[in-house]
Amino acid sequence: MKRILILSLALLLLLAACSKGGNTAGDVTGDMPVDGNKDNSQDVQEGQNPDNNQENQEVNEEKGYEFVFDGVTIAMHSKMELILEKLGEPMEYFEAESCALPGMEKIYSYSGFEILTYEKEGVDHVLSVVILDDSVSTKEGVYLYSNLNSLIEIYGDDYTKELNTYKYESGQSQLVFLVEDEEVTSIEYLANMEK
Amino acid sequence: MNKKRIGLKIATICFLFITLWFLQKLMVPKYVTAIVEGSLIEEYYHEETDHDVVFIGDCEVYENISPITLWEKYGITSFIRGGAQQLIWQSYYLLEETLKYEKPKVVVFNVLAMKYDEPQKEAYNRLNLDGMKLSMEKIKAIKASMMDDENLIEYIFPLLRYHSRWSELTSEDFKYLFKKDKISHNGYYMRVDVEPVKSIPKGRKLSSYQFGERSYYYLDRMVELCKDNDIDLVLMKAPSIYPYWYDEWDEQMREYANKHDLMYINFLDLIDEVGIDFNVDTYDAGLHLNLSGAEKLAVYFGDILRKTYGLEDRRGDEELKKVWDEKVEFYYSMKEQQLRELEEYGYLKSLGVEKRE
Repeated sequence: MKRILILSLALLLLLAACSKGGNTAGDVTGDMPVDGNKDNSQDVQEGQNPDNNQENQEVNEEKGYEFVFDGVTIAMHSKMELILEKLGEPMEYFEAESCALPGMEKIYSYSGFEILTYEKEGVDHVLSVVILDDSVSTKEGVYLYSNLNSLIEIYGDDYTKELNTYKYESGQSQLVFLVEDEEVTSIEYLANMEK
Repeated sequence: MNKKRIGLKIATICFLFITLWFLQKLMVPKYVTAIVEGSLIEEYYHEETDHDVVFIGDCEVYENISPITLWEKYGITSFIRGGAQQLIWQSYYLLEETLKYEKPKVVVFNVLAMKYDEPQKEAYNRLNLDGMKLSMEKIKAIKASMMDDENLIEYIFPLLRYHSRWSELTSEDFKYLFKKDKISHNGYYMRVDVEPVKSIPKGRKLSSYQFGERSYYYLDRMVELCKDNDIDLVLMKAPSIYPYWYDEWDEQMREYANKHDLMYINFLDLIDEVGIDFNVDTYDAGLHLNLSGAEKLAVYFGDILRKTYGLEDRRGDEELKKVWDEKVEFYYSMKEQQLRELEEYGYLKSLGVEKRE
């Protein structure tokens, strides 16, 4: 009898211990699992000209790669609301409910680039920035149609190559270049969702 | 004395198992008033009659076609074994499992899932797998679907995954402990609300447009399985305008269908013929059709299925008619209820749908 009771207790303890790092069904059925992401809501800066500021040319390793447009710095995981205040209304806006799970996928289109967001606890954060044409560039100076040599010159050779993509990682972000015929044909900033 | 002690031991063990079973029932999400898509897969097991057509695939099947319209218009019986972001290996094993229960004349697979060559997210795995009855097919589906940090045992005994939900339990968990309300109409998720298409996002450049080997492996198996069971397999791309369906993907599906002598229909090319008006026939700006859109697609597609595969009108079968009369009644009562909700609240409160600004 005692053995059965001990067995029962052991089983209950096992259940209690089998927690997946504190995850609950909320993670399974609800929020997007962005554990450990730093809230970058203070990271939207205005009025800084990255070209004139050597410090800004260096990638902030914690925030990772940032996109700068019209003096507004956009870091991955930043709160979209603050970015909207600085950038103003987008030229086009698209939103779609996530399939079955809570949250909206939103796309804000500006001249030359678009910002995609994810929703966490009811607040929109930057998921990715996609450069659409050569009227804008990365903060470090790579444009669409830049050649591969200048890309490597600027970002170095610490990249992961998969098919024709060159992926650079820093802090909470990834910067992904698609290269075709030695030419950059797509540039995308991505929030690193695993960190 | 000895017998008494053995009896006590057996009773204690039974008590322990019943407690664990009860806890498991209590802790697993019920998917009745929120994320109702989690209920779709298990509703198949309540079916009493067979089906001429079985649909498999992601949300582009369970939100875009009305089996009730297929019945009302053509006397075709059908069921949608669809799930949110259902991956192709999940579709394959669901089909394998379905064939243990019945042998439909036609199986329709929605090809959007070809774009995923790897498991994507535990939450979607759960919505597709938790509702399956324990079987070899379920185990194989779990093994094919698991993310790196997931365990088979947590799917077989969901209590191990959900035990820490105790602090999140709501009245729904107790109300639907043993019996859940029916959510779908033969796997179809009804929505009567309208959210017109305002803009259509462009497709982003991809590093490769080639579908993955794993996707093709399961598609090949699906073709083989249908052939072995004398079932006609149809490939379809539903008329959902987002996520973007690339021309390069379409070409691959056309070539595949030609090579294997299958019918492939891309309904994106047939929006006008089907009669879909994205100002009124979608509830989420073009991702999924609403009820009026799903009925239009069923009318158009049903006619093709009926003519191509010689599906008989079964409305004359009295026994079958009795079963489907009940389904039709439930369908229209839900439609009425949703319309009432829309009028009263401006959104579908009963589905846990958030009010749009």
